[in-house]
Amino acid sequence: MNDGPLIVQSDKTLLLEVDHPLARECRAAIAPFAELERSPEHVHTYRVTPLALWNARAAGHDAEQVVDALVRYSRYPVPHALLVDVADTMDRFGRLTLANNPVHGLVLTSTDRAVLEEVVRSKKVAPMLGARIDADTVVVHPSERGRLKQALLKVGWPAEDLAGYVDGQAHPIFLDQAGWQLRDYQQEAVEGFWAGGSGVVVLPCGAGKTLVGAAAMAEAKATTLILVTNTVSGRQWKRELIARTTLTEDEIGEYSGERKEIRPVTIATYQVITTRRKGEYRHLDLFDAQDWGLIVYDEVHLLPAPIFRLTADLQSRRRLGLTATLVREDGREDDVFSLIGPKRYDAPWKDIEAQGYIAPAECIEVRVALDDEERMTYAVAEPEERYRIAATAHSKLPVIRRVLERHPEEQKLVIGAYLDQLEELGTALDAPVIQGSTTNREREKLFDAFRAGEIKTLVVSKVANFSIDLPEAAVAVQVSGTFGSRQEEAQRLGRVLRPKADGRQAHFYTVVSRDTLDSEYAAHRQRFLAEQGYAYTIVDADDLAGPGEVNGPDWVDEPAD
Amino acid sequence: MSTEAPATLAAWLRTRSDEQLSALLAARPDVARPAPSDVVALASRLAVPVSVDRALDELDAATLQVLDVVLLAPTDGMAPDELITALPQVPDEVLTEALDALTTRALLWGDDVLHAPDPVRRAVRHPAGLGRRAVDLRLQLPADLPAALAELTPEERQVLERLAGERPVGHLPDAPGNGTGSPARRLLQRGLLARIDALNVELPREIGLLLRGDLPYGPPRRRPEPAVGVRDPQVVDRQAAGAALESVGRIGELLALLEEEPAGLLRSGGVGVRDQKRLAKALKVSEPDAAWLLELAFAAGLLDVGGPHRDEWLPTRAYDIWREQDLADRWAVLAAGWLDGVRLPSLVGVRDVAGKSANPLSPDLVRHTAPSIRRSALGVLAELPAGAGLPAEELTALLRWRTPRRADRLAPVPAMLAEAARLGVLVSGALSTGGRGLLATGEDGAADGMRGLLPEPVDHVLAQPDLSLIAPGPLVAELADTLSVVADVESSGGATVFRVSEASVRRALDVGWSASDLHDFLAKASRTPVPQALDYLVDDVARQHGRLRVGSIESYVRSDDHGLLSQVLGDRRTAPAELRRLAPGVLVSGLGADEVLTVLREAGYAPAGENPGGAVLTRPPARPRAAGRRTGTEHAPTARPLTGDERAAVVREVRAGDAALAARRGEAVRQVPGVTTASTLELLSKAVREGIPVWLGYVDAQGSGSQRVVQPVSLVGGFLQGYDERRGENRTFAVHRITSVALVEEDGAPGSGMLPG
Repeated sequence: MNDGPLIVQSDKTLLLEVDHPLARECRAAIAPFAELERSPEHVHTYRVTPLALWNARAAGHDAEQVVDALVRYSRYPVPHALLVDVADTMDRFGRLTLANNPVHGLVLTSTDRAVLEEVVRSKKVAPMLGARIDADTVVVHPSERGRLKQALLKVGWPAEDLAGYVDGQAHPIFLDQAGWQLRDYQQEAVEGFWAGGSGVVVLPCGAGKTLVGAAAMAEAKATTLILVTNTVSGRQWKRELIARTTLTEDEIGEYSGERKEIRPVTIATYQVITTRRKGEYRHLDLFDAQDWGLIVYDEVHLLPAPIFRLTADLQSRRRLGLTATLVREDGREDDVFSLIGPKRYDAPWKDIEAQGYIAPAECIEVRVALDDEERMTYAVAEPEERYRIAATAHSKLPVIRRVLERHPEEQKLVIGAYLDQLEELGTALDAPVIQGSTTNREREKLFDAFRAGEIKTLVVSKVANFSIDLPEAAVAVQVSGTFGSRQEEAQRLGRVLRPKADGRQAHFYTVVSRDTLDSEYAAHRQRFLAEQGYAYTIVDADDLAGPGEVNGPDWVDEPAD
Repeated sequence: MSTEAPATLAAWLRTRSDEQLSALLAARPDVARPAPSDVVALASRLAVPVSVDRALDELDAATLQVLDVVLLAPTDGMAPDELITALPQVPDEVLTEALDALTTRALLWGDDVLHAPDPVRRAVRHPAGLGRRAVDLRLQLPADLPAALAELTPEERQVLERLAGERPVGHLPDAPGNGTGSPARRLLQRGLLARIDALNVELPREIGLLLRGDLPYGPPRRRPEPAVGVRDPQVVDRQAAGAALESVGRIGELLALLEEEPAGLLRSGGVGVRDQKRLAKALKVSEPDAAWLLELAFAAGLLDVGGPHRDEWLPTRAYDIWREQDLADRWAVLAAGWLDGVRLPSLVGVRDVAGKSANPLSPDLVRHTAPSIRRSALGVLAELPAGAGLPAEELTALLRWRTPRRADRLAPVPAMLAEAARLGVLVSGALSTGGRGLLATGEDGAADGMRGLLPEPVDHVLAQPDLSLIAPGPLVAELADTLSVVADVESSGGATVFRVSEASVRRALDVGWSASDLHDFLAKASRTPVPQALDYLVDDVARQHGRLRVGSIESYVRSDDHGLLSQVLGDRRTAPAELRRLAPGVLVSGLGADEVLTVLREAGYAPAGENPGGAVLTRPPARPRAAGRRTGTEHAPTARPLTGDERAAVVREVRAGDAALAARRGEAVRQVPGVTTASTLELLSKAVREGIPVWLGYVDAQGSGSQRVVQPVSLVGGFLQGYDERRGENRTFAVHRITSVALVEEDGAPGSGMLPG
């Protein structure tokens, strides 16, 4: 019997015992072909999916390596059938390749005639194929490159895209590494992407995905289209690009609801591209406006469905996807794989945190008991109202105040989902509120003040969930959320994970009403945090100690002034 | 012993040595049970068609080819030397071996001249794949056969050549509409084929021989020499252990599921598709996999029909023992059950001619030949060195050569090999040590081969902050039981991932756990500190638990007339009914409805019983179990091979009988018909008195007759005691079973009397 750190389960999940001496080595061996699903304290769970295996295959790993890693590190004998299955699945990738033929243009070739026969006969695939050139080759309509890859993946024979990319219109872009340096993992991510041509880089929030994008642009040295989730995030990209590269303000255009600039580097929001008028997408011209050499997709896991359709037509452009997680709540991971590309790089949160690039976080759930009146209101409420009533209970207010008082010197965010609750909190805490209707100008002004430390506390709605940069937020207090969405939890946690100047610990509080739906949803979200390896503590509001008291925060700054 | 060649099979058998007879019995054990009384009986047993068929079925293609040569010889009797000229391409040692096999089995007899007994001739329908002679087919062949064949069209010749191959009989194609007829029909008209029935035609032997030219017996049937793939036996064993672990784990889960909710028994037998789907979903396996697991559990005797109405598939009592065993033993039970199971699990889902697909555990899947096919297939692999294996198709080809007469039975072999691989008996065509043990010594051998490869059960879990409990290996049964209450299984395999949820904690509270029990259990079972979140979860759920109260009562009395109920409650005569008020309008009692009804009626009320429709019945406290079969009793229809001692005993028996037969003939015993028992006794007592050996005709308790010569010692109470010299034993004979008796004179002179009893 072998005493390895890995246990292989029948459902192809892999359990990795973290405290085992071989755990690190084993993680390195299985990371290429298994997706990290959960990383709680003792045992991490990885899942071997066909997509993960194909990702590994696309990255140049072969079945033998995979089987060897499983057998070598497994504590118990691995069923032969599972190994055979893994090898078979991997073997499916690359039987078909898309390539450029000097005479016929884009062609689908196969090393296995039976496979080619199978897909040529498939009803879904056949319409995208043209004339058969010989037994192993068939012409593909160039416009169908993306859809063909989607369809082939669906029938279980993912094609390797070797057809190459157009260079696009050249544009000089260099990184301006004065006073800073690309981190090792960022460098590896860019190299991984560039070698693969197209694909997705997975990095945790706060790990500097923008810089990976910038570095990729410097590698491509061509006109670039950057697709982001919203305007604020777009502006942040712009700021970052100006600071970190040789690009000037004039070279970067913003294509949003407010402005429609097309420049060598253009930043567009998902929203504006997917805006339809009279059933037609109005801004598709953007994609043809320039001979783009690179397209960057920020937050790939949020990529809306229409963009997938558009992306299918852009298969000859290099595509870089950036995301914190490949898991999509709509389950369209396979479209990301076939249209943006395979995963080119990823690193687990905890590893990057251990390297000191993102702040360590302490997660605390504070439980508030509702008063009798609230309990009664809750008990008799309609089911659809219950969560709102529990989440916005007034009993939370004094607790929130007490939490904020624990950290007098920190930059604090109070995050909620219900606008009236936020307004109320803003008034009670004497803090500005940022929500959907706040103008961009106003937002930026407040963010600048917050950054400068002029404002200590901000109350934000879920507009702040994504892509705003609040570098010095060290404390986040979550008062209400969207039905326990895991993604939201990750994004909100990301708000406090950016590295602090002095390496301080970040604090992430969730204030929940006890014995209500609120705590049920909180449990759901927290499971996600625990799975990400964040141990969280549950505290009753009554036991919540202030700074300097027993069980209070570890460090207390001298009060200002 | 005479130097003349024996004239009959029996005579020849008499010339065989004890070892040779023993070898015959070993090869044809069916003739040894019950022991034949003498060589004549033995010879007639050997002539039984079933026995001959069975013996032929076990011969390989090369041996059968040698037999074909003898059978095709123009006259009965052929010198062994002639064989060498008949089969020039066959190496001598193959010939010798084949001859040895045939004579050992008495399928051919004779030392200098080989004879084929008639039953053997009848049993081989088409020797060497040739048809009967034209005379026997009542066919008049053209005088100049080669010339007639030369005239044929290529299509016609093709038909003949095909029939001159392995099988001389072919289907007549349906008559085509254009009237010219198919080639086969034209051949029929020319008298080159014989019609044997409405559908089939046969090629006469003469034409077949002509077409075969200088290889009249067909090409030499050499043993296929497949390329043997060799792998590291340790790797094979580890992978087998992986499969074993998986099988044992899955079967455990399956039976736990069936314990919770049994599968219904279909009227046609078997498990319905709905149950199959449910189980597949719960186990997260495909439906065919679920069917396989059901079949495996049944084959191992862990699952059977039971329940109060015998209409449910339930774990058997054997399951309770099984789950306590260690993993290797558990695996051995599964493997042994599978090996000797008379069902073909691979037929589940296969549609029959009527288009109906077979259900798991359906009685239609029984094939009594299955165990012997499994054994013969795995037996081939067992002959290879450890770690060496054959791909399924090569193995099938080899089996086809080994037992060509059973080739039609080999269809399930690939599926059987796949099953063996799932179990861990095989790994990519090579037997694991456990698999070898299974074949050699059954369950014990299997367990021994697998022991040490399977992990030891663990008695702890790792509790994690995300509320999962990870059992880093197979769990001891007790902990597994408890955990199945407290948590839900999320993933299984080498380890088990349990998830504690609100629902699972509630379930535990429901079956009587208290919050502190749970805390204690978790603290004790977990090797890691119990995360705070888990403790909070338990407390949270416990706080909410029990706000609704449920109790059980045997019966109720209800009425819209509350006054009447109060009256009943206040009535002293209804006290025996032990009624109490639960709510306005409802009285309840701990007594059964019948008793309450009686009490109320006797008290002068007019109550009516109520149908319990909608009432929830609690499950019986004991876990439901099917009675189950004793494993290994139903299956194993294959004859147990005779041991050396048993064979020696039979040979001794035959020899003794034979000698007795000889004594009876040689010593001219006078037969006196119609003698009474009294004279038998008289004769016997004379023999005892004078110490003369007697010749006895005797029928034993099993009803088989024998003749023997006995040196009598005493005659007491209707029993004759004596020493049977040839058998070398003291025996007691019941006088009433003695059918005839004669005195044997030592000097060869006639004895006194022969008395049929």
